[in-house]
Amino acid sequence: MTETNEKDRTLKVKVASPYVTYFDQPALSISGVNKTGPFDVLPGHHNFITLLEPCELSIKTAVDARKIRINGGLMHVRSDSAIVFLDV
Amino acid sequence: MKRLNDITSEQQAMQSVVGLTDVFEGLASMRIAQIKNQVLSSQSFFRELWGIYSQVRVSPNFTYGRGLEKPEIDKDLFIAITAEGGFSGDIDQKLIDWMLSMYDPSKHELIIVGHHGALQVSQAHIGFKRYFKMPLHDNNINVMPLINQVKRYKTTTVFYQTYVTLMVQDIKKIELKRAIEQASASHKKSVGQLISDDYIFEPSVESVASHLENTMMQITLTQTILDSKLAQYASRFRAMRRANDKASDMSSELKREYSHTKRFIADERTKEVLNGLMKMEQTS
Repeated sequence: MTETNEKDRTLKVKVASPYVTYFDQPALSISGVNKTGPFDVLPGHHNFITLLEPCELSIKTAVDARKIRINGGLMHVRSDSAIVFLDV
Repeated sequence: MKRLNDITSEQQAMQSVVGLTDVFEGLASMRIAQIKNQVLSSQSFFRELWGIYSQVRVSPNFTYGRGLEKPEIDKDLFIAITAEGGFSGDIDQKLIDWMLSMYDPSKHELIIVGHHGALQVSQAHIGFKRYFKMPLHDNNINVMPLINQVKRYKTTTVFYQTYVTLMVQDIKKIELKRAIEQASASHKKSVGQLISDDYIFEPSVESVASHLENTMMQITLTQTILDSKLAQYASRFRAMRRANDKASDMSSELKREYSHTKRFIADERTKEVLNGLMKMEQTS
């Protein structure tokens, strides 16, 4: 019997604008800021669509952490996948 | 007959023109390739956005990012996208003439992008609401000031130059709403069920739908601007190709003239020497 280690679960994260993809690989979490305040998305997160405020997106991967400054956008979270559509 | 030195310097100048037009031609074709790549990449982004929008839209109609609010101005907006400077041939003139043939001041208002178009509308003694400069760069084009205007009107029609092939450019008009629906039509089949009832929306479904409409309008307007730029680069490429061909022809002509003159001078000298020898023989 195999045991799923929660720590090994990852999200498929993509951060893109219409002309450039800034990040596209598995990650442990992604954090951003919406109208309500800062929030984190971890694997297993509820299906979620939110407008993002200008902020610094923080993406944690198994090896390092990446920060991407954005002017706003939209995040779509669904089945362990988070796509950030940056404002043009 | 020209002197040899003069022909040499003229030929050198012509070779510089050939070199320069070669460089400009290369630059124009490089920019054309870059813009084509940008358009392709934005199409995939648009497809993903449309997938969400088609399932969260509040109104069955495209509302230009206004949500349920009514337009501020009960008129149709005409936007003409033209070149910033000259050197674009007569295509801007055709575009403006076409737009003005449909213009009715009681129903329409004009916004012009590009100095060349603004000048031609002014010369026709017609007033326009706003003028925006054609963006200098091909990346990070900020169309928000244009979108803010679009939102105020009932509908928006964009008149722009379009790239058909490197040698053929055309003019086109498209209603912004229809352009978005057309762009999405090709994607509709590939979109499965993305959004279910258990979704959480922050701050609300309406704001998300309006945001998506704004973004899709930005992409569509940016694409029409890029398409116009593509047509302008192609037009410049064509002009450079013509200049290059002409300069190459002139350079070959000068080369032939140089050889002809050089041979003529040599023949004259030979004649003089022979005449001298003949005179010497006669006197001796």
